[in-house]
Amino acid sequence: MTTRAANKTKAIVVTGAGGVGKTTFAAGLAVKAASEGKRTLVLTVDPAKRLAGALGLELGGEPRQHPEQPLLWGAMLDAAASWQSLARRHADPAVADRLVNNEFFQAATVHFPASQSYAAAEEAANYLDARVWDLVVIDTPPAAGGIDFFTSPAQMADLVGGRLLRLLTGGRIPGRNFFFNRGARPMLRFADQLLGSDLLERVGQFLMDLRTTYDGVASRSREIDSHLRKAATVVVTTADPAPLTEATRFFLELPDVAALPVAVVFNRSLPDRWATTPPLPAKSVASTNLALAENLTRWAAESQRQHDARVEFAARYKAPLATVPWLADAPNDLESLLDLLQQTEGLPSLW
Amino acid sequence: MTSATKPGRLTLVSGKGGVGKSAIATGLALYAHRQGRRVLVIDVTGAGGVAAHLGGGRLEFKPREVRPGLFALTIDRTKALAEYVKVQIGVPQFATMGPLARAFDALASTAPGVREVITLGKVLWEVQHGGYDLVVADCPPTGAIIGLLRAPRTIAELVPSGRVRHQAEWMSQLLARKTTELVLVTLAEELPTVETEETMALLAAENLVEPPTIVTNRVLSRLETDAKGTGVAAEAAILHRSLYRNQQDWIKRLQPARKLPYLFGLLTPGEVAARMADAWEHSESGSEA
Repeated sequence: MTTRAANKTKAIVVTGAGGVGKTTFAAGLAVKAASEGKRTLVLTVDPAKRLAGALGLELGGEPRQHPEQPLLWGAMLDAAASWQSLARRHADPAVADRLVNNEFFQAATVHFPASQSYAAAEEAANYLDARVWDLVVIDTPPAAGGIDFFTSPAQMADLVGGRLLRLLTGGRIPGRNFFFNRGARPMLRFADQLLGSDLLERVGQFLMDLRTTYDGVASRSREIDSHLRKAATVVVTTADPAPLTEATRFFLELPDVAALPVAVVFNRSLPDRWATTPPLPAKSVASTNLALAENLTRWAAESQRQHDARVEFAARYKAPLATVPWLADAPNDLESLLDLLQQTEGLPSLW
Repeated sequence: MTSATKPGRLTLVSGKGGVGKSAIATGLALYAHRQGRRVLVIDVTGAGGVAAHLGGGRLEFKPREVRPGLFALTIDRTKALAEYVKVQIGVPQFATMGPLARAFDALASTAPGVREVITLGKVLWEVQHGGYDLVVADCPPTGAIIGLLRAPRTIAELVPSGRVRHQAEWMSQLLARKTTELVLVTLAEELPTVETEETMALLAAENLVEPPTIVTNRVLSRLETDAKGTGVAAEAAILHRSLYRNQQDWIKRLQPARKLPYLFGLLTPGEVAARMADAWEHSESGSEA
């Protein structure tokens, strides 16, 4: 893959709500770092087709070097595949086979969004440990606005540690024959009535198999946790209420598990001067163009709303704010990605 | 439980995260209510989006009449389970059986379809027995909507017998009616368009509900002039025209039944929902009766 080993790899986690452009921004950061001589890997989740094309990405593969920019590598996380490899890494071969083929295991990526985030975090940690890159830029899965990515190691250890199993059996970790004694237990008899006889047993088997991965997952999740605490977190948002609420969670809920964000990036920002321009006097509006003036009035209101949202956010949470202009055409090659970062204002130095 | 009432219409609203599902679901409920219908709006996700857009505080699991003829409720997992067991399965004391309820919740967390069938069961029970003309459900995003709609079938495949399986059948039938509509909300952008197309393909393969109604949100209208202008007016016009042009390409590709407008400037969630109700009344429609 490469010949030189980096001394220390810095991690930048780019996070935020879905649909705000964080994958594009993460790609832009990586392209910029590479252009400044940093050996950079960007890990993305579900990029738009054209962006994936621009980065030369293929799903689930090993990191690939960009054909035009030799310092840039890209890899796409495949949550389902990482989740399977996790079972293979942490369980006996026979148990791993049983787990991977288990119907509940396959459904778990849907039921436990944390499992997807954990798989992504573990994969990212593996690349950090490889010490091949100066910088790894991680685009987080969208679950729970990205917060899950940071809490997933603990959640995962809890899941495989048997919390569900204990609830299921009333407090103790049972032996394998527990589920064959269901006639004696009201819970089992009831579940039996409700769901049919063997479902409970199948769920129990699954949770017991999953539990054998505990030692591996627990120790790995502590290592991942320490990587995440050292990472620089960049929150991407727009000035809209829903993604902004998600962004505040990184200040309110994150302190326990990670450092505070080093920057909050407001994507799709309109120029402040649109809002501050005084309205044209009625006479001159009539003499210029009414439709254009009305259009400006609408966008000026939007610009004002964005401005107010940024000011309010900055007053409440102490983090450097950066703005990325609202571009009609999403960047889809190295040049336009670099251009996006050059038009970004207020971003602190990240490497 | 009464069965004299005729089942009402059901509209399920889903879409990629962040496209405005809750505002649109609440707006649709407000619009139908203005038409004089008896309407229930359900926050299926429990995320509070419906309550924010309705105003007037938190919602409970029990339907609350937020104004005459307009009701709202939010799904609470534990209460939904207790009610499900009581009403559908006929075990009234379930709610008081703490360890049993927790154990069942653990089971429902692991087995696919169990939790979803309980949530869906509540929605469909209200459709069947609530006496509403219309039930609007603000549903989980597209990533989870197939799992929700497919839950009765998943259970039927997973569980060979038992009372939950028996319940799955009437649910599937109620979902497949012509009066059950799935609305997929999207934006005129690449990722939401692709995700909508993928969801439509999955839905077509599963054949669980009638083909979905596509609603594109935040659509810009054409600038009624070719003039270039000067200064900031020119800058705003350039951005507007480029965004409009790109939106039109995605709209052509997806051919939505309805287009809802981009709302400019500062609005409260309540104002947004009211504007969505207006838009629902005036937007183009290819499917509404």
